[in-house]
Amino acid sequence: MSRVAIIKYPGTNCEEETLYAIRNASKLDGRIVWHSEFKMDEWDAIILPGGFSYGDYGHAGLIASWSKASNEIEKAFENDIPILGICNGFQILTEIGILPGNLLYNESAKFIARWIRVKVHNPKGPWLSLIEEGAVLSMPIAHAEGRYFTDSPENVIKKPWMEYIENPNGSIRSIAGVAEKDGIVLGLMPHPERASFPWQSPRGFEPGGRKIFEGLGVSLKRGW
Amino acid sequence: MPLTSFEIEYAQKVLGRKLTKEELILLEAEWSEHCSYKSTKEHLKKLKTIAPWVLIGPGRDAGAIKLFEDVALVARIESHNHPSAVDPYNGAATGVGGIVRDVLSLGAKPILLVDALYMGSLKTRHSQWLATNIVKGIGDYGNRLGIPTATGLTWFSKSYEKQPLVNVACIGLTKPERILSGKVKPGDPIVLLGNTTGRDGFLGSSFASKPLDEKDIAAIQVGNPFIEKLIIDALLDAFDKNLLSHVKDLGGGGLGTAIVETAAQNKVGVTVYLDKVHLREPDLEPFEILASESQERMIVIPKDSNRLNELFKIFDKYEIEYSIIGHFSSEKRVKMFFKNRSVVDIPVELAVSPPRISRKVSAPVSSFEVPFPTDVDIEKTLISVLSSPRVSLKKAVYEQYDWGVGGRTVLPPGYGDSAVIWLRDGSKRGFAVSVRGNPRYVKLDPFTGAALSLGDAYRRVSAVGAAPLAALDNINSGNPEKPNQHYYTVKMIEGLAYASEILNLPIIGGNVSLYNEDEKGSMIDPVTSIMVIGKIENITKALGVVPVGDSPLVLIGKTEPELGGSEVQEVILGDVYGRPPVFRADTEKKLASFAKKVSEKELAYAAHSVSIGGIAVTVSKMAYWGNVGITLNSLAICECSPFEALFSESQARILYEVKPESLQEFLSLAQSYKLKASVIGHTLRNEKTIRVQHNGKEVIRLDLSKVSESLEALEKTL
Repeated sequence: MSRVAIIKYPGTNCEEETLYAIRNASKLDGRIVWHSEFKMDEWDAIILPGGFSYGDYGHAGLIASWSKASNEIEKAFENDIPILGICNGFQILTEIGILPGNLLYNESAKFIARWIRVKVHNPKGPWLSLIEEGAVLSMPIAHAEGRYFTDSPENVIKKPWMEYIENPNGSIRSIAGVAEKDGIVLGLMPHPERASFPWQSPRGFEPGGRKIFEGLGVSLKRGW
Repeated sequence: MPLTSFEIEYAQKVLGRKLTKEELILLEAEWSEHCSYKSTKEHLKKLKTIAPWVLIGPGRDAGAIKLFEDVALVARIESHNHPSAVDPYNGAATGVGGIVRDVLSLGAKPILLVDALYMGSLKTRHSQWLATNIVKGIGDYGNRLGIPTATGLTWFSKSYEKQPLVNVACIGLTKPERILSGKVKPGDPIVLLGNTTGRDGFLGSSFASKPLDEKDIAAIQVGNPFIEKLIIDALLDAFDKNLLSHVKDLGGGGLGTAIVETAAQNKVGVTVYLDKVHLREPDLEPFEILASESQERMIVIPKDSNRLNELFKIFDKYEIEYSIIGHFSSEKRVKMFFKNRSVVDIPVELAVSPPRISRKVSAPVSSFEVPFPTDVDIEKTLISVLSSPRVSLKKAVYEQYDWGVGGRTVLPPGYGDSAVIWLRDGSKRGFAVSVRGNPRYVKLDPFTGAALSLGDAYRRVSAVGAAPLAALDNINSGNPEKPNQHYYTVKMIEGLAYASEILNLPIIGGNVSLYNEDEKGSMIDPVTSIMVIGKIENITKALGVVPVGDSPLVLIGKTEPELGGSEVQEVILGDVYGRPPVFRADTEKKLASFAKKVSEKELAYAAHSVSIGGIAVTVSKMAYWGNVGITLNSLAICECSPFEALFSESQARILYEVKPESLQEFLSLAQSYKLKASVIGHTLRNEKTIRVQHNGKEVIRLDLSKVSESLEALEKTL
């Protein structure tokens, strides 16, 4: 059975529900791996879950990107191993430099936790394999530093990406998620692991994260 | 608060000598109101605390119930009122830190935070500063721990302009057989884990046991949620490996209190070497080490001293500091040394037995009735009530809280009367939690006021379909040395005792915060926050508050013209008068069983307990949440004036949006419980107005956009 590594840094706090989604929505085997013990060649896919690695000191994701796990993550990137960064994981991937852009403080300068909707563009790769062009997914966001910024959004939107239907944080072009390598690497601010089972979504929203996890499960078995 | 000369003389008589500086400091913390409950102990005995499903009642750092055969739920509530008045951000944040460590101390994994905040008018810069920073403090700390704050209560009143009340609660889960015994034996080493000890928070417990003084800033603790998160992860690893027998937070009173309480509970003595404590500043005096309230520190006692290395390996992985600072002993004395010098040597028994004191109470003059003006415009009143900060939506608060981390949140804030939390253990089991408190009702009648808050929280837990199992109380009151203030404390406890008995709801823990006075010595509005916890067999059937539309609205419960202590009274008259609504225990109980059945049989789309502001507020919020129109017939609510029908705060009522095809079954179910059920109106998908008829005449016609604007008023000020 394919194995998925969920990397835990000091201060990571979404690893358990992410593992639950991997096991119960992706139907894959998964493990939580302490960052300093992570070796890329033992895994078929890698997730950097949400949380406050190193307490967000400096800025979100900065100190975690200095972990020796980053070398392994870069190697995985070169070897086309699927990588997903959720929230703080997305912030870490941009700090490492394998995803473009930066995540800045929300326009409101406040932490924002709410259910939102995103539209998926150019879906490709293992994570988005079950999602159709233009599909709208509901998921919660929960972040203080989620305002996506890049000098060249036109390059980002040529690739697979996600767009907030209502921009909650001032992200440029309403960008909620970005990808590299034809969607093999995906980073997004919303939390798919909190939207993977019907009872996780209140009335008016669907569990929009489930398709991402199911997509990985199918893709690791049949390719993408 | 310093020891009284009577207390010092008493201690010196027992010892037969003068107290050392360190002993004085130790007793000052131990004998403070905060640690000893000396003014309330005799009254708290009246509370119902026992039930077959209670695993641990009041007395330890947290209480516990058997939620399911294989699941123990651990809970605790505590106030951080005094620190939050001086430094709102750190005061509120460290309140969260402390309550989480209390839940850890039973060996449970903390999975939910709850807050009850009573803050100022928001019309002065000071009250805005307090409110903004309290909310940010709770959010920043809880969010970093990865523990969701998924329900709470936010109240605003000018009584709390300078002295807010900040009550926080935490819930954790473990297996019943994995709850730490708390047992220690002579010879067991004491490991101090976590943050360095510094000068911050010096004698905070004693500071919380007297009226506030502006110079008290030195007593504020500063929090570090990152260290706390590492402690949580490390302790959970240690619990998994069964390495620990006892864990205790260094809370109010610091190291001295934590150690003395452990020794006293186990009837053993203790020897501590204060120079072994890892320090932030190297020049700390022994009395400072003893009483410092630096945050994120715990004592942990290994189950087996031969496995200490395994324990330390975990702490090293997370890079948390620790030191072995002493051991328990068979001689029942507290002995402390600093660089080979004895600084404390007293019997354990003395440290935990302050001389008895008795407090007097005297009843205030009872409140009189004040009539409403006769020319009140009902529609304008509704708008004023909806935009009152107590009524309007609290998005500006809860959107700063990560209510969803953990993936367990089924009904987040704004979607249900209680937070509904899934166990996420492969089953669909879960629990519901609500916290309530109403300073207005308490002001008019503290006995009924406390009982009503218990009833309110009990009903909100029932409304989602849960079976209420336990409650925790946080009493916030005045100066126990003043009989007219202490009256409120005693009456609130008595009201709770009565209500918990009659609703068969054990109280498994609580906290008493006294000396909540302003600078002139007047009591700020006292209140008891009550948190009720209920269990749910199937969280997929939990009933939220969001209606679907085009369905009947059925009110369960009886509406009387009860406007004493109501929202509309405060909005129109500027204060509260008369008597609060009647506590209808019998109806509350029937309603709770009925509500559980409605959810199990899936007869309704939405359920919303009627609370402050009456039916008018209940329907306006449902209209907002569902983006549906609503028509109401005032006479179906109550054979009284539309004003009374709409704004009465009669208790024991839940408004349901019933599935049209289930209406008959729903009504006969209500009948079988002998509950009054009235079809009072309908929800409408295609009409975006709220319309109220009285005797064929339209008394309210309000656009949903106007309703939204009013309900969102708080977002502009906070």
